[in-house]
Amino acid sequence: MTRTQSPAPPPLTARLPVSPATRRTVTLGLGVATVAVLFAVDALVPGLMPGAPTRVQDGLTLAISVLIESLPFVVLGVVLSIVVQVWVPAGAIERWMPRRAWARRAVLSLLGMVIPVCECGNVPFARGLLMRGFSVPETLTFLVAAPIVNPIVIITTHQAFGFDDGVLIARLVGGYLVANLIGWIYSRHPDHDALVTDRFRDTCELVMHEPGGRWRRSLAQFVVELRAVMPALVIGSAVAGAVQVLVPRSALLAIGSNPVLSIVAMMMLAMIVSICSNVDSFFALSFASTFTPGSIVAFLLVGPLVDVKMLALLRTTFTTRVLAGMVVTVLLTAFAIAVGVNLVA
Amino acid sequence: MWNRWLGVGLASCLAVVTLGLAVTGRLALYINPSSNWFAIPMAVLLLAGSALSFLLPLGAEQDHGHDHGHGDAEHSRAARDHEHSRTEQDHPVAAGRAGLMSPRAGGRSVATAIGVAGGVAASGVMLSILLLPPASLSAEIAQTRDVGAAPLFAGADVVSLAVHGDTASFGVGDWASVFATATNPDAFEGDAVTLVGFVTPGAHGAFDLTRLVITHCVIDAQTASVPVAPATGSAPATGAWVEVTGTVRSTASGALQIAASGVKRIAEPKDPYEY
Repeated sequence: MTRTQSPAPPPLTARLPVSPATRRTVTLGLGVATVAVLFAVDALVPGLMPGAPTRVQDGLTLAISVLIESLPFVVLGVVLSIVVQVWVPAGAIERWMPRRAWARRAVLSLLGMVIPVCECGNVPFARGLLMRGFSVPETLTFLVAAPIVNPIVIITTHQAFGFDDGVLIARLVGGYLVANLIGWIYSRHPDHDALVTDRFRDTCELVMHEPGGRWRRSLAQFVVELRAVMPALVIGSAVAGAVQVLVPRSALLAIGSNPVLSIVAMMMLAMIVSICSNVDSFFALSFASTFTPGSIVAFLLVGPLVDVKMLALLRTTFTTRVLAGMVVTVLLTAFAIAVGVNLVA
Repeated sequence: MWNRWLGVGLASCLAVVTLGLAVTGRLALYINPSSNWFAIPMAVLLLAGSALSFLLPLGAEQDHGHDHGHGDAEHSRAARDHEHSRTEQDHPVAAGRAGLMSPRAGGRSVATAIGVAGGVAASGVMLSILLLPPASLSAEIAQTRDVGAAPLFAGADVVSLAVHGDTASFGVGDWASVFATATNPDAFEGDAVTLVGFVTPGAHGAFDLTRLVITHCVIDAQTASVPVAPATGSAPATGAWVEVTGTVRSTASGALQIAASGVKRIAEPKDPYEY
């Protein structure tokens, strides 16, 4: 922290000669006090509020559960992105990467194997990779592969399905394929910079020129990443909660046994429910008796990549055109794989 | 200030809600207690970061190095000017103040308006999370989620457990899978059960004893229910929490049912879901 003192910020008002140490203590005290006030509000106010109407309350309950469940992963993702961006020395990761573009993407799509972040923590981490100088197609490859080719996801999918109907294999191979396909498609785009939003590009330039020592840059990265991810996460979760309350599940399930329509229905369900990829296989398992195996695979491929919560998160970084291209690619690939599984099984 | 609120602020509110629920033992309303070990320390870590972030002056994370000019001053000034023109497009107010309204500012102000609306919406959602009392899912939504397929669990081989008579710890979810999948219903005839759940309408004078079963968090909640034939009188009102004692019985059609010897109204339990 001593380094942050040397380029002392110019005082806004020069009323009193306050030493930097005192000012630091006071602002930190202010931070702790603010957190304490939040706790007090959380402890006291809800007791005084009337309950909301049932439907609103149910939607809110669903949204809260997604948020509480994903918050630790977001924090983990932000921490990893700080580590990648601020603490890992330049060249330390790059040295291990192959030179050829497709080989780099293949390695990056396996990176998810060693980094156990599911889709929510994934986005901040991927932003860290981008800021570090990884190209957009490479980062997209990681981003699409990691929620599926992930140790926790492999274990839970195996627990749920074993090797029945090739669901596990189809999911892993399918996820790996979709990721490399998307990486390849966007690597052919002439202008990689045009794939990310202006806001993200601004952020990149800001963090590149962030002044001060590593601790100060870590704090700035913490603030910037949370600013980017939190509103999207909150809105995405609220939409997921609201849609679940409004769209009756029976409407989707009426078409469960048709080999083609069941795939479409399960893909729509996957986009709506926004379940964390760590556990979606248990959810899918309960449909296994009424739905075709291919449609289960489609659910497991589409859900982690392009559900409404994930799209809101991705929009923080990538342009709408890229997202539309991703959704179409994922849906078509998942559909093709699902039809294949249905034909074989 | 607005930017800080939308990032660190929203996240801190959520962490405070998480810890508040954990301290009062109600975190099980939203997530499976088996992931508490991860959720709670991460919330604490986040709040520590939030308190520390006060050390970073407001706007400093976007303050591209006014006090940066050691060394390559020329280079960084060029970069800085470039950034300025960009960020000012993001903030027409600032651009107007600097007298630098760019031709694209019109389109940008629409984008800014959408951004602000999104921020307001996210704040609204987060404030209702912070200020409204926590609640469990209603019986209504349990009914709309009931798809007629019994939920199956992570690796727990309930049917073989049940065959060996090890049903003491079974909940509604376990029994629902047994009822749905048992190939030899007679094996369970006469098993004594005590189950807690809420009431949803059933068929033929019976009611369904229902419980929401959760794998990870409430969004993956699935409805499990077992048919209960009350010994006397009519079924309790839909949504009422009850404790049912009775025995498993197979009906004339070969389906399993619980013949209740007692149905007691109870308050909603602190952990309304099964895991």
